[in-house]
Amino acid sequence: MRIREKWSPSTALKILLCIFWLFAIILPLIRMLSTMATVDVRAVITARKFSKALRQSLTVSFTATVIAVALSGLLSWAVARTNIRHKTILNTLITVPMLIPSISHGMGLVIILGANGWLSRFLGLEGGIYGFWGIVIGSVMYSFPVAYLMLYDVLRYEDGAPYEAAEVMGLTAQNRFFAITLPYLRKPMISVVFATFTMIVTDYGVPLMVGGKYMTLPVMMYQDVIGMLDFGKGSVIGMILLIPALIACILDMANRDKGNAAFVARPYLIKKSAVRDNIARGICIFVIVLVFLPIASFSILGFIAKYPTDMTLSLKNAAQAIHMGAIRYLKNSLIIALVVSFLGTALAIFNAYMTARSRTRLSYVLHLMSITSLAIPGIVLGLAYVMFFKSTPIYGTFAMLFLVNSMHFFASPYLMAYNTFGKINDNLENVGAAMGIGRWTIIRDVILPQAMGTILEMMSYFFINCMMTISAVSFLANVRNKPLALMITQFEGQMQLECAAFVSMLILSVNVVMKYILFVMKKRTTF
Amino acid sequence: MDKLIIKNLTKSFDGTGVLHNVSFTVRDGEFLSILGPSGCGKTTILRILIGLESADSGEIIKDGVNITTLPAAKRKMGIVFQNYALFENMTVLRNVEYALLKSAGTKGEYSRKKAAAKAKEMLELVGLSEHLDKKPRQLSGGQQQRVAIARTLALNPDVILFDEPMSALDVDTRLSLRAELKELQKRFGTTMIYITHDQEEAYALSDRIMVMDAGVIHQLDTPHNLIDRPADDYVRNFVIRNINIKINSLIQFARLEDNK
Repeated sequence: MRIREKWSPSTALKILLCIFWLFAIILPLIRMLSTMATVDVRAVITARKFSKALRQSLTVSFTATVIAVALSGLLSWAVARTNIRHKTILNTLITVPMLIPSISHGMGLVIILGANGWLSRFLGLEGGIYGFWGIVIGSVMYSFPVAYLMLYDVLRYEDGAPYEAAEVMGLTAQNRFFAITLPYLRKPMISVVFATFTMIVTDYGVPLMVGGKYMTLPVMMYQDVIGMLDFGKGSVIGMILLIPALIACILDMANRDKGNAAFVARPYLIKKSAVRDNIARGICIFVIVLVFLPIASFSILGFIAKYPTDMTLSLKNAAQAIHMGAIRYLKNSLIIALVVSFLGTALAIFNAYMTARSRTRLSYVLHLMSITSLAIPGIVLGLAYVMFFKSTPIYGTFAMLFLVNSMHFFASPYLMAYNTFGKINDNLENVGAAMGIGRWTIIRDVILPQAMGTILEMMSYFFINCMMTISAVSFLANVRNKPLALMITQFEGQMQLECAAFVSMLILSVNVVMKYILFVMKKRTTF
Repeated sequence: MDKLIIKNLTKSFDGTGVLHNVSFTVRDGEFLSILGPSGCGKTTILRILIGLESADSGEIIKDGVNITTLPAAKRKMGIVFQNYALFENMTVLRNVEYALLKSAGTKGEYSRKKAAAKAKEMLELVGLSEHLDKKPRQLSGGQQQRVAIARTLALNPDVILFDEPMSALDVDTRLSLRAELKELQKRFGTTMIYITHDQEEAYALSDRIMVMDAGVIHQLDTPHNLIDRPADDYVRNFVIRNINIKINSLIQFARLEDNK
């Protein structure tokens, strides 16, 4: 039950946080949407180019979503429901694509299946994979690890008791699947489908690289804003892109509450079956090879003099990238990622503490405001920030990028902290109050140490996403604060694929190192 | 002598009355149980007494001093919750030691060494001297509740409040913990207020029992008088219902035995 707020210092802090969210998310968004008043929205929407881009966006996203969800469903079954070994290693390998920007996936695909791709040349394919299927394959590679992680968790925590009861009743495997598994998966699956769809439909990295003439809405928005500075048209497209993200957010919220209420009585018992395990092993190896092909391709390409004309190993591309500022931009990225991982995590912890540890009506309002960013694609948030902060001193500074990245990636780490704080004994502060131990002391000495594993996960999430994002920052960065990932789009525009590959590899390396450091820290600090 | 005098406590949440002019006294060194069904207001009384919640009106007098508006830390009361509320990241010993070092009531009184010695003494009292270096999650529910009791007792409060501390424990653990709790109360002479919905537990532990329903007190009396001289129909039915349940269980048990 949520209780009515009483005036207290914590109420004041909650109000302050709500005001912060108003300025950080809601007002910029309103500013962007208000721009539409100056645009002939009807003309934009009914334009042939727009309707074609919309139709193509929906078709390509729908196709890629179906394939990504099917693939991740199969893969999550193979890992969660079989007795294959080394599941931690498998999970790590499967989720490696989450450490590189979407545009790098597209680039990997171009290297393999582009007009001069090594596989295209080997198979004698002409013209390459550009267009519909290029975007579909690139989007699947970029999005399926996220869908996989969601489904893997759902399957891992499914209650095994109904299956045991069904077995006693003599139900066949087919009946068990239709009577138990499918109804259980229905709601999480809706969340997974919408989350994947939103991820794909709002991405411009993959279509920019392998789309060719196949125009999608995010690419159109990117080109209109970056190329023609047409903010009005950008706002109209931004509003359209908000719709699937908003639906995904609402569905996720509805299903999340159900998920938390679920009570796992018995873990699912995996029976012995060598045949099934071998099939699962085959699926995992197949997917991991698919995942690593583009990554390995661009890693090698970064050290090839000029593909495909000069295949000698060379550091020329690295030198070229460094000459064009890769080290400086890497420093920028590290500054942004480190600051955001600390500031964003601190803000998420503060917010989550206020919402998860005191269930008042104001906490609920704050909770809703805190997860708003789930419903705002990065590219839309970036545009909203350009319009809202343009005439403020913060615009064009590092602080602007700290803020936009903290907000763009806020919802997931916030929800991690919210769930963790919600699970920690709700009487700790009461015991502290009765003993005369201050709230802050209890937070510092008891609550935060208990949440340390989650805090490190949150920092890792902020860091990795800041290193690889090209969405919100693309409209806001300038030469002084440009992050490294934006060099990929720059090199892509200049047809310097080898340099772009080197930059992608640099980002992947930094993210792998950071992931490892935080993994070791997590092992040491989790009690 | 009265340890606590509670006068006309009233409390409502979102316009719904939870306590209606509740008045009672608690004697020094007494074990008082507050008995009633879920939602009768017993936990609200406890939270108001300790200072975690404030009453809409009414007064709380402790040792002749009005403590109604005092913060929880200054009331010299301790509380033991159903879910133990132990510091999961600390060892059993550190849980008690930390309370001694950080509590406003004992801060500065103990060096680290003295606090550790006192903590060991308290944990020995509750039979946990072999588990000092374990984390709470490595203990059983009963053992965890013993740590919570030791941590509260270590701070030497005038009154200890128990919020259904045994409702999550199995029957055997409850029985042994009951006996230990009664023993500790005799030894320390601390006034204890115990919230429960389990009549058997209340009869076994209490000097007096306060029967509540819907935010009002129906009777505050000795266990014997509750059975012999119930104040009204509610108490009579409440007591009889419990006895009936027991009798029915015994009859059922006897039948099952006969059928064997």
